[in-house]
Amino acid sequence: MNLGPAVDALAIWLSGSDPAWWAIGLAAVAVWVLPLMAVVLPIAALGQIIERKVAAAMQRRVGPNSVGLDGVVRLVVRLSLPFISRAGQDRLIGRISSLPGMSLARTLGLGQLAADGVKMLGKEDIIPAGADGWVFRLAPYLALTGAFLPFAAIPFAQNVVALEVPVGALYAIAVSGISVMALLMAGWGSGNKFSMLGGMRAVAQVVSYEIPVGLAIAGVVLWCGTMDLHGIVAHQYNGSWASFLGWNIFQSPFLLLLACVLFFAGLAECQRTPFDMAEAESELVSGFNTEYSGMRWGMFAMAEYSEMILVGAILSTLFLGGYQSPIFENVIVALPVWLETLIHVGILLAKFTTVLVIMVWIRWTLPRFRVDQVMRLCWLTLVPLCLFALFGLALTMLIPSLVMPADAQATILGVAYGRLPAMPHLALGLVGHALVWIVPLALGFLLVIAARRKHGRQHPALTQLTGGA
Amino acid sequence: MSPDLAIETLGGERMRLNMGPHHPATHGVLRLVVDTDGEVVANCAPDHGYLHRAIEKIGECVEWPMFVPYTDRVDYVCAMNANLAYCVAVEKLLNSDPATKVIVPMRAECIRVIVAELNRISSHLVAVGAMAMDLGGYTPFLHAIAQREGVNDIFEKLCGQRLTYNYITIGGVGFDLHANAAAETEAFLAQFEKEMIRFNQLITTNTIFQNRCAGVAVISAADAVAYGLVGPNLRGSGVDWDIRRDEPYGIYGQLGVRVPVGQAYAGRAGRVGDCYDRFVVRLLEINESVRLVRAAVQLLPPPAEKANDPLGGFQADVAKQLRKPPKGEIRARTEAPRGEMGYVIVSDGTKVPYRVRVRTGSFTVCSIFNTVMKGIFLADVVTVIGSFDIVVPEIDR
Amino acid sequence: MSALAFADIVERLRAVFPAATLPAIETKTSDNGQPWLLVPANDIVRVATVLRDDPVLGFAALCDLTGWDLLKYPANPPSTDIAIVYYLHSLIHRHHLTLKVLAPRDTGTVPSVSSVWPVANYFEREVFDLLGVHFAGHPNLKRIMMPDDWIGSPLRKDYIYPASYNGIAHLRDGQKFEDAPTRGDAAAPAQAAKP
Repeated sequence: MNLGPAVDALAIWLSGSDPAWWAIGLAAVAVWVLPLMAVVLPIAALGQIIERKVAAAMQRRVGPNSVGLDGVVRLVVRLSLPFISRAGQDRLIGRISSLPGMSLARTLGLGQLAADGVKMLGKEDIIPAGADGWVFRLAPYLALTGAFLPFAAIPFAQNVVALEVPVGALYAIAVSGISVMALLMAGWGSGNKFSMLGGMRAVAQVVSYEIPVGLAIAGVVLWCGTMDLHGIVAHQYNGSWASFLGWNIFQSPFLLLLACVLFFAGLAECQRTPFDMAEAESELVSGFNTEYSGMRWGMFAMAEYSEMILVGAILSTLFLGGYQSPIFENVIVALPVWLETLIHVGILLAKFTTVLVIMVWIRWTLPRFRVDQVMRLCWLTLVPLCLFALFGLALTMLIPSLVMPADAQATILGVAYGRLPAMPHLALGLVGHALVWIVPLALGFLLVIAARRKHGRQHPALTQLTGGA
Repeated sequence: MSPDLAIETLGGERMRLNMGPHHPATHGVLRLVVDTDGEVVANCAPDHGYLHRAIEKIGECVEWPMFVPYTDRVDYVCAMNANLAYCVAVEKLLNSDPATKVIVPMRAECIRVIVAELNRISSHLVAVGAMAMDLGGYTPFLHAIAQREGVNDIFEKLCGQRLTYNYITIGGVGFDLHANAAAETEAFLAQFEKEMIRFNQLITTNTIFQNRCAGVAVISAADAVAYGLVGPNLRGSGVDWDIRRDEPYGIYGQLGVRVPVGQAYAGRAGRVGDCYDRFVVRLLEINESVRLVRAAVQLLPPPAEKANDPLGGFQADVAKQLRKPPKGEIRARTEAPRGEMGYVIVSDGTKVPYRVRVRTGSFTVCSIFNTVMKGIFLADVVTVIGSFDIVVPEIDR
Repeated sequence: MSALAFADIVERLRAVFPAATLPAIETKTSDNGQPWLLVPANDIVRVATVLRDDPVLGFAALCDLTGWDLLKYPANPPSTDIAIVYYLHSLIHRHHLTLKVLAPRDTGTVPSVSSVWPVANYFEREVFDLLGVHFAGHPNLKRIMMPDDWIGSPLRKDYIYPASYNGIAHLRDGQKFEDAPTRGDAAAPAQAAKP
């Protein structure tokens, strides 16, 4: 077996020149899994912090969860110095700080998180009498596995990636499927009807939503011509100062559509409101994890946050240029390697933190779908949308090859797979852009108007309730 | 304590699910025995009695004024209205004999309307907030509860209590308004109205929320009347009936109560009498209550020296009448947030009631559960419970 | 579409029934002047159906159904019956009516009106539970508030507080209800009427 020189060296150090299987296993864990955990676990904690802070701010909660928000607010306001006068800043800070919960603690309330962790470890581990013992015990580990493994293929910088797989995109969705098994096992193994309903819902939902996710990823693979996540990121490189123009979502409206689908399907994959069928705390008590307590429950919680971050990471990698900066990427790649790596990791973190904040924001804003509505959304809206976008994407990629000779394509487009006509053929490029951006956007706009009209006019009483005339 | 189980044996694909007595969505210790076929409800039998405190029995053991604190416990979400219902009934009993006539001072009547409508606001806030939470919208719930705190602050200044007030007494109210109560109430209402617009933008017109509620558990007007639905649940089905307007008690007759009814507010998917209509009717009633509070503040006479002054006092003298009330029986009903709160009072002419009976809205609404819940999704069960605004102590008493 | 006074309602009711089948309804007045209609127990369903279905009467709503024990009520002549009271209301005509049925104390059985007004299902269960009156034809006549194995009807005036329930004592040492049996009889006290 070839697991890399580091694993080999460690295994040989552990049990001699012909290492035993357990030594190889231990070495593999030490070299590959532990560093990964060391990166992902703090990220999960980051997810937890973001969830608490955003929820506390939205709900104007008083308490440790909203402690330290004013520090963030102050920082943001002070950074906006060029746009607001100093006196205006002070007034703004004063007003925000006077909201409930904006106390003056400096530690961002991190102590609360640590205390929660300690509490969780100290709690009694209860296994119900009716539970299916080993299924019940195994499920949290499996959930964590399914949530952490895909991170191995995510490139954090040009040379920071745990596992170089040529089919990284496929690998990521394949291994994340393990968590379905975990939900099913938790639901069944608990010996609780609410858990079982939650588990069944989770399986139906996650399995269904893997189809739009897969189709969305297929769109990117089609566009970039590779399944290697590194390759996909590299494909999104744009040499000008406006590096974001190279990102996949700005390449074609169909890719933008696929990015949206991937985001919502990802939301459903990690069981977040409005798709939290499996947990649905007001219907199923707590769904699949009703019977879990202490650290077993904590592992489910960590898995949930890791999955959310995973969605952010995949979305960033596939559509938002991966670890690349939105501007001046050409400057960054010219920097020394250590600095470039540092900046790239930071940028990826910032990207999926943003996605995470949006997910948390949605979670605390929207109510929950009903289980049939979730399924209908998947099969009757997202899947057809994906197919449509895939078909449109393939067509736009076909157009250049239809209108130009092969050698002209190569020189104009510069890449093997059809990007849109670029600067040298300005007129053609403009027509192409008009066709592929303006027309679909206008169509989409019309569709939205038609949908609103079909939905009917709002009742005047509701207009009055929402402050309208 | 025995659920009404139409399906005694579970055949085929059925599963029996016990929602409650401790379940997040049953708003207390209500137990629903739900037989499901997958996610679809085949039969839903409510089981009551987990919160039975024998309040009607207690009524036969304590003196007339001593029962008022117990009425708080009949419905602690709107304790003011519960107090009012009992006091109005006893006053009606006393007034049925000219010898024991009692005239509630005008100022006390105005204060009663102010506190009852404020409490209706806070009760409806719990109802709409809890329904939003049942459907997964946690933020609107906390916003509603934060507003309810404002009402509680006003009540705390008024009578020292935040939940069970024991404020309205037979013949008046317990204490006069404090000096700047009117200004404080107006300040609260001003910010409250703005806050409710935000609340409605957040949840009421949310498409997911509308789609969850529209067309679910549609109750026709005839069914609503036959199953004894009252209050917003009845009005949600399009029945134009409000005791404050149609059988006015106190000074409600002078205030011109406007009554919202269900009109399929959800648009094309909506039906008159669905969960969304009941939800919106409550929100519209909140707005109407805000108007009534303001109107009652306008009518408020200046305080008088003597507490029993018929205009500016706050408490009529009733001690003598209550020692020897007229013999006989009376039924009086008031409009509480959960609809008709009707007291049947039988007096044998002594200082202790012979029989006190309270009919509450949440009790009768449980009789329609099985009918409306057949064939809906398990997730809709919580929607329906939320839309009925169940308060369990009111059911079990 | 016009509200009728009590006398008009009774007159209309008498007019609706053919003379041969007219139930023996009597108008009465309570001690404080509230008019009510006494209906024989066996005729209550017939009367209720007419009251609900007649377009002039239109009592679609049963506002309340309750009862009380007349045992200690200072009536003249004294009665030992249980009074079952129906409060009807018409949302169309905006008038109301009080019906009463007197159920004998020991063998009290009243036909159920839950087929006429579905809400009576719950009201009658409550009356059965707390006053021990049986309702014939009720779909699910079981206790609604008290536990199933509770003995006695708490709202009856001759109800004796049990000293214990399933072996759990209700009274602390030295505590005593006014009419409670002496401490020590673990067995529940015999009740005159068991539902």
